Amino acid sequence: MLRRILAWLVAIVAGVIFGAASAWAVLNFGGANFTEHYGRWVYSRAAGSTAAGPYTRAIIAREGLLALSAREARYFSLYEDERGRPLSESCIYDLNGLPLDARWWSVTLYADDNFLAQNTDNAHSVDASRLGNDRAWSVRISPVRGAAAHWLSSRAARRGFIVMLRVYNPQRDFLPSEQSLPVLTTVSCAGDPP
Amino acid sequence: MNWGKYVLGALIIGALVHFALIVATPRVLMHVAMDRIGAGGDNAWLISDRVTAASRQIVRPSPDFAYSACVFDLSQGPVVITATPWDAYWSLSLYAANSDNFFVIDDREAHYGAEITLVRRGTEHPEGASMVIESPDARGIALIRRLAPTPTAYDAARQVAGEDVCASVTHLVG
Repeated sequence: MLRRILAWLVAIVAGVIFGAASAWAVLNFGGANFTEHYGRWVYSRAAGSTAAGPYTRAIIAREGLLALSAREARYFSLYEDERGRPLSESCIYDLNGLPLDARWWSVTLYADDNFLAQNTDNAHSVDASRLGNDRAWSVRISPVRGAAAHWLSSRAARRGFIVMLRVYNPQRDFLPSEQSLPVLTTVSCAGDPP
Repeated sequence: MNWGKYVLGALIIGALVHFALIVATPRVLMHVAMDRIGAGGDNAWLISDRVTAASRQIVRPSPDFAYSACVFDLSQGPVVITATPWDAYWSLSLYAANSDNFFVIDDREAHYGAEITLVRRGTEHPEGASMVIESPDARGIALIRRLAPTPTAYDAARQVAGEDVCASVTHLVG
């Protein structure tokens, strides 16, 4: 009798641990299964939508609570460089973009905790009202501005920071693609051979 | 001893816990957000300070927007929400308790601002209300975004935001 009770207790505890661990794994590592990829950009068409399934909704809520539906805005996130390495404060990048079929766009840099990097550079974001949406543009992503005309500061963003592209009021014919979205290029990383 | 039933039991419990946590996550996060935004009371706009590195209420805030947020509570009846127009992009969006964005209107559709009456789904619509929106939950969040990428624009947006309304109809009538 005692063995049965103990066996059920072990089964219940094991079940709870298995359930909690698998949910945690899905929330932390399962985002890729509920998203679309354009080059290295990650996009969830279901952000904010009432049609989002429970998994998509949970992942979106964790990474972008209060997101707008796709009709109003599209959100694209960049986590890796062109070689698949996590974005890092110890590297310098260039982000080059073309005009987008939308009313307005912005690019914002977040630290790995999904909040703005803890620096006072006042260079967390660039947007179409400052760079224009009628010509090609280029932004330097680095911990120090240097001679860059347009700059996103990665100071204190650590390793694993995120670059997020917001596209507001996309036109009906707005079709994201690897070619139409901005392209990230690594200029150099500290420790790379010269 | 037959271990099969214990393994099966553990798997069933694991699946139930797993799915319960997945379903609960957005509701818990919304609850935390509503607690933070509604600290000063429900059915009232909270005009956020300009987004900086110190802004840590909601993940991934945009420093290009001036945000106003209101935790709406329909338990005492409909809530009237207005958004004063702004000379650049602005939008009013409504979020259910599970984080779904169930309504949005922007300056393309509402040149002269927006005025909506929010009611609980399945309840009677108030007479005379011009735009009635049904909420799937009694509580949720209303959010106004105004494009204001510079400190000057933010100051102007904050002034405009002071004219927005988020109030229970009972309170307005009373």
